[in-house]
Amino acid sequence: MTDDAKLEAAAQRLGTEAAERLNVERTVAAVLERLRAEPVSASRVRWMQPAWLRIAAALVILVAGGLIGRRLLVQSGTGGGRGSHEVAHFVSDDLSDLSADQLRDVLTTLDETLDLGRTTLPEVDLDNLDAQQLRVVLRSLEG
Amino acid sequence: MAQPQPIAATPTPSPSPAPDATLIAAWRGGDEQAAAELVRRHARALARFLAGAGAPEADVDDLVQEALIRAFRAVAGFRGQCQFRTWLLTIGGNVLKDHGRRAARHQVVPLDERLRARDGDPHERAEAGEAEARLAVGIGELSRLQREVFLLRAQQGLEYGEIAAALDTTEGAARVHYHHAVKRLKEFLQ
Repeated sequence: MTDDAKLEAAAQRLGTEAAERLNVERTVAAVLERLRAEPVSASRVRWMQPAWLRIAAALVILVAGGLIGRRLLVQSGTGGGRGSHEVAHFVSDDLSDLSADQLRDVLTTLDETLDLGRTTLPEVDLDNLDAQQLRVVLRSLEG
Repeated sequence: MAQPQPIAATPTPSPSPAPDATLIAAWRGGDEQAAAELVRRHARALARFLAGAGAPEADVDDLVQEALIRAFRAVAGFRGQCQFRTWLLTIGGNVLKDHGRRAARHQVVPLDERLRARDGDPHERAEAGEAEARLAVGIGELSRLQREVFLLRAQQGLEYGEIAAALDTTEGAARVHYHHAVKRLKEFLQ
């Protein structure tokens, strides 16, 4: 007997005893009982639900991502111009409502405000001062 | 007056068994008897396949039931790419794999123990089943794909095209797996 024939014969016999021992009608009863206990439709729904949930979740993520991305794009594209536009709008509104006198007051106040922050040094030439004047300047600097 | 000739009884043709596809459709429509008929048709082949693939003898009944239950629950996904039996056997392969994981072991029963469990004269059984036992050991050493291709081909007698469709591979790959399986199993038989 060749190896091939031997192998083929052994393969044909493999598992035949287990198959003969199987009680088919008992298997039928057991399978039907389990199918009745847990109907296919219920198990199918149980399997389908996660699939639909996954699809729904993916759609939500896609839509939300798209909206956020769109908003970010809009903001990055027009953000600077929009801010300056808003400032210009407010300033122009304020100024257009003022009368000529009120405008002058605003300008005066602005000048005073700017003067408050300016540190001015006396425009004097120290070389032209005598000893007495220099002493006064030094004392004033010492506080 | 001529007697009327007795009307010859026309033999009633025995109804041909409904194809699996018809039974599957009936089961999906709620016909429990269709499921019962499918079990009757394929349970033994499934048991033979599982035992050949290394299922412990004591667990074959349970594994057959589990594979059948899984098949009936998943039958909506069966597209007829292969025969129902072939598809069922591949499900049996998955059930056996899960069983092996649960048991956290996949050991082959030693030859002497396997033979002691059988009825009859031990020596006679040993003579008759030596090659089978060696083959069982060898099959346990194969990769899962090689094992399933070998069993579907050598034990179940399926064509390569059918095997390839069931295992979602190509016909050429199925041939190669079978070739390698046979080569290794011959070493066990020598």
